[in-house]
Amino acid sequence: MPALTERLADASKQKLRTVQDYFGLAGKALRFAFVRPFYHQDLVQQMDEIGVKSLGIVLLTGFFTGMVLALQSSVQLQTFGATMYIGRLVSASMIRELGPVLAGLMVAGRVGSGIAAQLGSMRVTEQIDALNTLGTDPIKKLVTPRVLGALIMMPVLTVINDFVGILGGNLISTLLVGVPTGLYWRTVWEQIASDGFTLRFIPNDFVQGLVKPFVFGGIIAITACYFGLNTTGGTEGVGQSTTRTVVLSSILILVLDYFLTQILLSVLAV
Amino acid sequence: MSDDTRDAAGSRPLPPTGGVEPAGPPSAEQSASEERRQDGRRASERRPTTIRRAIRDELAEEESTDEFYAETHPQEHRVTPVIELDHVYLGFDRPILEDVSIEARKGETICLVGESGTGKSTTLKLILRLLVPDRGNVCIHGEDITNLTFEEALDARQHMGMVFQSAALFDSMSVFENVAYPLREHTALDDDEIEHRVREKLAFVDLDPDQVMGQLPSQLSGGMRKRVGIARGMANNPEIMLYDEPTSGLDPLSTGTITRLIMKLQRELDVTSVVVSHDIRSVFRMATRVAVLNERRIAFFGTPEEMAASDDKYLRDFLGGS
Ligand SMILES: Nc1ncnc2c1ncn2[C@@H]1O[C@H](COP(=O)(O)OP(=O)(O)OP(=O)(O)O)[C@@H](O)[C@H]1O
Ligand SMILES: [Mg+2]
Repeated sequence: MPALTERLADASKQKLRTVQDYFGLAGKALRFAFVRPFYHQDLVQQMDEIGVKSLGIVLLTGFFTGMVLALQSSVQLQTFGATMYIGRLVSASMIRELGPVLAGLMVAGRVGSGIAAQLGSMRVTEQIDALNTLGTDPIKKLVTPRVLGALIMMPVLTVINDFVGILGGNLISTLLVGVPTGLYWRTVWEQIASDGFTLRFIPNDFVQGLVKPFVFGGIIAITACYFGLNTTGGTEGVGQSTTRTVVLSSILILVLDYFLTQILLSVLAV
Repeated sequence: MSDDTRDAAGSRPLPPTGGVEPAGPPSAEQSASEERRQDGRRASERRPTTIRRAIRDELAEEESTDEFYAETHPQEHRVTPVIELDHVYLGFDRPILEDVSIEARKGETICLVGESGTGKSTTLKLILRLLVPDRGNVCIHGEDITNLTFEEALDARQHMGMVFQSAALFDSMSVFENVAYPLREHTALDDDEIEHRVREKLAFVDLDPDQVMGQLPSQLSGGMRKRVGIARGMANNPEIMLYDEPTSGLDPLSTGTITRLIMKLQRELDVTSVVVSHDIRSVFRMATRVAVLNERRIAFFGTPEEMAASDDKYLRDFLGGS
């Protein structure tokens, strides 16, 4: 069946081109961060849009995640009579995994979809063409501020997410489990210190917990811009781009989280 | 060109209210348009029965744009055209344009007409190098733009203004910021000068600057958006203006205003324009030459008079059916 193999070859070529374009866009967006003119105002606006306006959902999800973590682990720890270690469990899970991943998924849903929808409708209403016509590179004007904004704000959001998560754990362990606040925070710190330090004073947990959101932020912004700018087919296309953005960036976040963890663990262990 | 001619042409009210000849046209013009004028008189005695006749009457009543152009640019045909499409082929999933060749000389207004979906907007995007032809060349001032890099193309576009079919205003910016955009991007004007220029351009398209400047595009009517689009397109005083259906969806009065405006830019500032339009009346009023796109090819390219006089069946259907 030559037709089938041909189709497969075509399809894989297409996929390859997509991947190439994706990385091309990422490279250009980052390169333009160092080339005049700079669109400061757009960057500030995007940092507000991505960071400040996502604060609410991040606070809410972080707090409840910390609470449920404390609740679940208290049940397990009680069987060993080790409830005083509850702070260690909550902080390790929040800082290394749940903080970055949850913040990433929330931002992908809120910000990624918004960016894709905005750029997509700008594409289908010829506003991207208009930018080009007026002599502005749309990548520089639209993509670079969004990528930079996400790269800067995702780690910030994650740190906040971690903190309120641990705070939520504190609330549950004090009220329901009976671990005093002082002990709780002492075990939190013990956990952070026990994992060792990079450059003597940066806890390894923090390195993990900050590299991840940095990468996730880039992935969310570039995926959203890529699908947004390549929207075709009117308003229906905008909807498709939005969905694709959320699906692909969520998958990439979860898959890359695994590989990043593996890499970081082996690097930090040395 | 003499100041007389210019004034007479520029300030004459349009549409004409009657068949009154302007006082003292230059004698050169007299003999040239003698024939048409007689034709017009004959036609007005009998009742015009077809659109074509009505158009011919209208042409006889005012000095046509192409004649004005011939007078003011006697040597222009010897110079390299400002815009030139040279045997251009373009296809997406199917062929759209085949062997399309048109040119616009300095100060000309070329009108591009044709049925919906024949590739008129696509042609404008070729001139802007938003699209690159599969075969053939697109030249601006004799320079081939098909091989420019992305950055070079951005520079080249600074000499062109485009009015998009959908206006394509930036909907996150106010009207003021929209019109000021090309000025902020490409000029060193300070804020006062920018505001002055924006007001001037908005007034030029018959909008009240104080009323609309602070509004968002979504708060405007379709016709107002279109006029803001025109103001933005010409904010930079480009030497080439491209209009994609500037009058579609407008009432007859606004249509007249915009037609007059395009003519004013041509006659006063010598702007080279390509106008896509479905409105045959205004096409005949503002065109120096008309290009008709039919079935992927240029079916006709010539002056409005030649078009009105043509016996080609498609052209007759096109004019008669409008
Ligand atoms: N990006 C694109 N991808 C695929 N096909 C396209 C694209 N842009 C335009 N076309 C096709 O090219 C043809 C010409 O489109 P174009 O917009 O130039 O038409 P038009 O002459 O401006 O029509 P109208 O008068 O309705 O505006 C259409 O059939 C359209 O389907
Ligand atoms: Mg069109």
